[in-house]
Amino acid sequence: MTEPNQINSARRQLLIRGAKAAASIAAAVGVARWLYDPKGPGAKNEEVGFLGTSVKGLSDFSVPRKDGQVISIVKGQDRAKTVNKAIELLGGIERFIKPGDVVVIKPNVGFATPPLLGATTHPDVIAAVVKLCYEKKASKVIVTDNSINDPASCFTISGISKAASAAGAQVVMPRDSYFSPLTLEGGSLIKDWPIYCAPFAKANKLIGIAPLKNHHRSVASMTMKNWYGLLGGRRNVFHQDINNIIAELAMLVKPTLVILDGTVTMMTNGPTGGSVSDLKKTNTMIVSCDMVAADAFGCSLLNLKPADLPYLAIAEKAGVGTVDYESLKPLRAEVT
Amino acid sequence: MQLFSGRARTLESVVGMLILLVMVATAAGIYIVSQNYNMARFGIASGSGQESGGDFLPVGKAETYNNDNLYEKIDGKAPMYQEAGFVKLTAQRFAAKSNSELGFELYVYDMNNAKNAFSVYSRQKRADATDLNDLGVSAFGYVAGNEICISLGRNYIEMIGSAESNELVDGMEGIAKDLSAKFKPTDNDKIVELGYFPPQGTVAGSWKLQIDNAFGFDGLTDAYSATYKIGDKAVSIFFSKRKNADEAKAIAKNYYDFLITNGGKAVTVDGEVLKSAGASVADFYGSFEMVFSTGVFVGGVHEANDKQAAEKAAEILIGRLKEIND
Repeated sequence: MTEPNQINSARRQLLIRGAKAAASIAAAVGVARWLYDPKGPGAKNEEVGFLGTSVKGLSDFSVPRKDGQVISIVKGQDRAKTVNKAIELLGGIERFIKPGDVVVIKPNVGFATPPLLGATTHPDVIAAVVKLCYEKKASKVIVTDNSINDPASCFTISGISKAASAAGAQVVMPRDSYFSPLTLEGGSLIKDWPIYCAPFAKANKLIGIAPLKNHHRSVASMTMKNWYGLLGGRRNVFHQDINNIIAELAMLVKPTLVILDGTVTMMTNGPTGGSVSDLKKTNTMIVSCDMVAADAFGCSLLNLKPADLPYLAIAEKAGVGTVDYESLKPLRAEVT
Repeated sequence: MQLFSGRARTLESVVGMLILLVMVATAAGIYIVSQNYNMARFGIASGSGQESGGDFLPVGKAETYNNDNLYEKIDGKAPMYQEAGFVKLTAQRFAAKSNSELGFELYVYDMNNAKNAFSVYSRQKRADATDLNDLGVSAFGYVAGNEICISLGRNYIEMIGSAESNELVDGMEGIAKDLSAKFKPTDNDKIVELGYFPPQGTVAGSWKLQIDNAFGFDGLTDAYSATYKIGDKAVSIFFSKRKNADEAKAIAKNYYDFLITNGGKAVTVDGEVLKSAGASVADFYGSFEMVFSTGVFVGGVHEANDKQAAEKAAEILIGRLKEIND
């Protein structure tokens, strides 16, 4: 039979153990609370941004539209020549860049691979555009992208760091503090999500430069998909809804100009490629104020139809641009 | 009487401490291994400054990626690997001893089993690839420009050269052979289904395996396909082995319904062999799709330009699969 003092001892033990368990739970909760980041992944600091600026969101970087000068398509092998000609056809760089402008160039620097593989924006296009901006007395040109895997390697091995620096641009690599949580009004995916926007805070012009690639998930990666690089956090979650996220990014970002480099097109095994066998010389440079039109034309270089890319129709419906690029009467030329 | 004696409490404390120590040691071990992956396992030394044993030196440390962070390395291509059973990626850069500007990056994807590895290998195989034929039984490999790809047991391996250089490709080929010698696939790794294709007419090396969602239809899994030659015409034939004949028949019907629902137009089937296998043909936006079932196999022809060639190839495939059934 159990003695009263044994019952007391057992009760005491139970109470002591219960108190210890409660203390452990409280400590775990305290640590979790301490580690909890209410702003979400990557959004460590929204108050202190790039160059000490306050970051609220992305500005509208677009310039007034001029009918008949919305998109240009130039054939040729030399990227510097074709991009210069394509911009000239749209009215020249002076239409887009004014003295004193701060220009951000957003290439695709997603991989630490050499230019040979065509997975990243070719450094020759970046160098040519940086030079054009400085010719029109831009006060600063920034080249930046959110390369998630070892940005230093991506910028170095892609040749972008060297080319941009040589042309006088400032190369900016991502930091946690450069992200701010943004919400796209009317969007279903970009809700309080960390967006790479601090490097754009003091800029008044934005130029996107994208390579033309096949893409395993989105079928093609062009100027609209290029904005995927602005997503912070665990952005791979959006691979499950790739068409809507690309369309929403195109609604969020209003660039001055987009450039689609189809000098060499990655026809297969994108977006990484790996072999020169994935590439085809298509010798085409597209410059456009309408990224939907640019990407719709880009489909033809990938042997696709615009209908193969659902995000084009979604973006068109949202008013980002037009799939019917021929209706814009593209300005065409060829350079040798 | 006390519930716990002093001796028992001491023993309990000691055991508890030991368990905690084992857990800490395990966590530390996992961390150290993940930070210092030993590339010597693949016949190539890791860590800066070490000799590679070949013409290349490792540059920096090996990187490892799992399902949580694979996208950091290969971004939009990650889902393809993950849907095929990806476990782990180990990547390491190498530079030529003779020229540090010349190098390659080695990717070793652990795909859990040989079929998964073969699936990602075959789906990415380049059209202009030159097969590496001396890698051993059940190992597959090819060279395409600056790149060498190998399916070796449970591993899918890529070596991506930084330039189109004969010196580089020769060096990578040597490493490919070393790897295949070290990691000879076992009998369990053999993909017996490749032998189910008709021996005459099937283009060697054209095999593909789609683990799921074959031809955009999520009901068609484990589908093997290959190029089959009918005279000068090439036709893509496929099959998938199912649990039983009823399942094969149901998948054939569902796949055909999927084609019709998505814009295909029914086409008359000619030939007794095809009719006996319940073959259905659809004109799918200008190309012919055919599906049938025979025994435990569902099979067919994909994206054929010529209906007669498609029917002939399907008849031969049906005959071959019947032999396997028997």
